[in-house]
Amino acid sequence: MLEMLPHWLSDWLGPDGMANLAYITNGKHLSWYASVRYTLIAAAFGAILAVFFGLLGAAAKLSKFAPLRWLGDIYTTMVRGIPDVLFLLFFPLAFEQGVEYMMAQWYCKPDELAAATTWPLCANVQWYLSTTEYMILACVSLGLVYGAFAANVIYGALTAVPKGQLEAAHAFGFPSREVFWRFQVRQMWVYALPGLSNVWLLLLKATSLLSLLQITDIVSWADRLGAPNYSPVAGLVHGDWRWKYYLVLFIFYILLTWLSEKFFAYLQARAGRGMARAN
Amino acid sequence: MSKKWLLAMTLGAALVSGQALAEDKLRVGTEGAYAPYNYVNDEGKLAGFEIDLGNELCKRTNMTCEFIQNKWDSIIPNLLAGNYDAIMAGMSITDERKKSITFSDEYKPVDPSLYLVKKGTQLDFDKLEGKSVGVQGATIQDDFAKGKWAAKNTLKSYEKADQSLADVMAGTVDVVLADGEFVRTAVAGSNGELEVVGPQEMIGGGIGIGMRPDDTKLHEKINAALAEIKKDGTLETLTKKYFTEQK
Repeated sequence: MLEMLPHWLSDWLGPDGMANLAYITNGKHLSWYASVRYTLIAAAFGAILAVFFGLLGAAAKLSKFAPLRWLGDIYTTMVRGIPDVLFLLFFPLAFEQGVEYMMAQWYCKPDELAAATTWPLCANVQWYLSTTEYMILACVSLGLVYGAFAANVIYGALTAVPKGQLEAAHAFGFPSREVFWRFQVRQMWVYALPGLSNVWLLLLKATSLLSLLQITDIVSWADRLGAPNYSPVAGLVHGDWRWKYYLVLFIFYILLTWLSEKFFAYLQARAGRGMARAN
Repeated sequence: MSKKWLLAMTLGAALVSGQALAEDKLRVGTEGAYAPYNYVNDEGKLAGFEIDLGNELCKRTNMTCEFIQNKWDSIIPNLLAGNYDAIMAGMSITDERKKSITFSDEYKPVDPSLYLVKKGTQLDFDKLEGKSVGVQGATIQDDFAKGKWAAKNTLKSYEKADQSLADVMAGTVDVVLADGEFVRTAVAGSNGELEVVGPQEMIGGGIGIGMRPDDTKLHEKINAALAEIKKDGTLETLTKKYFTEQK
């Protein structure tokens, strides 16, 4: 592939430069770059789910129906208190075993169930989780954890919309549903976006935990590539280079943060258009 | 028909079809971080002695091999859980492991484990005290070091073998005990910075393929193919290709 480079470029790089270029473009490194997709997918779908759970949670907290309100409070208090690492370890495992347990009730013979001492309860209900399933579970876990933060942010933002606005809308004869969606939710974003951008950055950082679920993400690849290698058949012989690879990850995450800040500034300006500002 | 039933049936059908497929496909779990047994090569693919050997065995039993990379510390649980059907990961045959899985005949005889230090480190193995000894967790060397060294020294258990190499190089750990071939490979590639010291420890049995105990059919198939490639010299050729010394 490198033979396709123009001559002036390969001359300028020299043999050492070309060797380095060959090293960072070998199959192992290309797999590393490609594994960025897991991080981005988990961040994107995690965020969509977080906003979804956040809206649900906030709606529950604002509900006139007390049990629903308690449910919303329990969700935001409990999930916000659990470290994301623990939740990411706990939820997928609990979900897998829960499904296997339910299926065992249909598919295992009664004597197998009685005799079962190990997991799964019988061989028929073994559910094998591949990277795809783990990715889905990771997105849901991230959505649940950061949805709890988002719920609190959105709840706060919804109550921050001036009461007078809503009263005025009612006075104009809008039905309650439309008052909620066209006035309260529409104006809520201005108050919610700064908080949500915080939640997004936290979620983005949490995507570095994907390797906990045996997903070969950028962190596991950095680990593998940076590990010392003294076996020439396994590739370039080098000492402990992990810090170099971790440094690349630092830069990658800082870049993502910088892009996110730009994006949220744009969103903020868009959400705030046509609204009076107090400065 | 309720949705629950539909879900259960879809999952059930997936499981049954999965089992039917398993007949002509052998899924092999390996670590991919233990050169020259198994490692990830420059192309980003699994390679090494066991990958070649596994493919050869699959060819002779009319199966296709699919190698699945799995962390060492969960490699046995995930075999039992059905994530793959066999383990080829430089795994020594031990009585302890035989309690949960069965092994094929050995494809590599016992290779004494060796002590690896940074060049110039003086250690008195007759009365080793106050040193830190590194091993990879859940290995035969781990068990052995627990018995022999843990009382008067600190044991450091690593998730991956190459982390122990990084630490011995950085001086964070005084000595590492690991598989003979792994240590020799490290010394050869270390540009004179690492060396072997002290006694050779004869621990563990030979290296074999781990399988689920109830997989008797696969067990027979694999052993027959192993006997065949031992007889016609293929195993010897492969061993010579990857290992520096034959015992």
